Amino acid sequence: MSDFRESQNKAHPNKTNTLMTGIILLLIFIISIQIWFLYSALNNALERNLDIAIATFLGSFVLALVSFWLIRYLPDPREGKIKRK
Amino acid sequence: MKEKNQEIFSETWKDDFPIQQQEAVHVSRREFAKFLGLLSGTLALGNAGIIIKSILFPSQKLKGEHFVCNQNEVPAGGMKQFELQLDKTIPYILIHLKDGQWRAFEQKCTHLSCAVRYVPEMDKIQCPCHNGYFDARSGVVLQGPPPRPLPRLDVILKDGKVFVAEMKNKT
Repeated sequence: MSDFRESQNKAHPNKTNTLMTGIILLLIFIISIQIWFLYSALNNALERNLDIAIATFLGSFVLALVSFWLIRYLPDPREGKIKRK
Repeated sequence: MKEKNQEIFSETWKDDFPIQQQEAVHVSRREFAKFLGLLSGTLALGNAGIIIKSILFPSQKLKGEHFVCNQNEVPAGGMKQFELQLDKTIPYILIHLKDGQWRAFEQKCTHLSCAVRYVPEMDKIQCPCHNGYFDARSGVVLQGPPPRPLPRLDVILKDGKVFVAEMKNKT
């Protein structure tokens, strides 16, 4: 008997693909912002500007938490691989 | 049950060290996404490192007054290069402006650390590497790629001698 999950997967065969692409794009976006923060912090630290360094660290830390949280939602590997194990 | 567990373990081991080269070099999107997460954490740590460094190991400030040269050694419109020994040796330039005022700036351009020089004809400080120009009175950037003004020192004149000290009022 087919359950709801199976029906869903059959109705939307590309769902895993879309989710994976979406998560990777979001992660790349987050990392781009973090690189920008790191660059600003370095540039301002040279001028002894600690406030910017602290603000960018907080931003970068929150973004890192968001990216860890996003990783939890990565779709599971395909069933074939699980069976192999 | 134990045998089954062992079998699963050996299968996992084989997954990590596959025989086929194609399988060994293959990076799945799942692994790539996890790597991006790791990179994100590393960047946050890098930002924390900057704060820790600037709190625990701040750059040493100039204490007291340092003798540079006698006033008559630098004519109006002239420049003298000197070095100060802090936590590292930092090159500075002493400028005697045409109107008689004195200025001292760090010689390293804030762009890529090229040596800057005073051009009396233009009354500006020039970085010859990438054509950056700084104001000879305040050290602010007038033109070109430098992102910040030149770090400045106070110049003190005493009995015909020139001394430098840490800037008191940064404006």
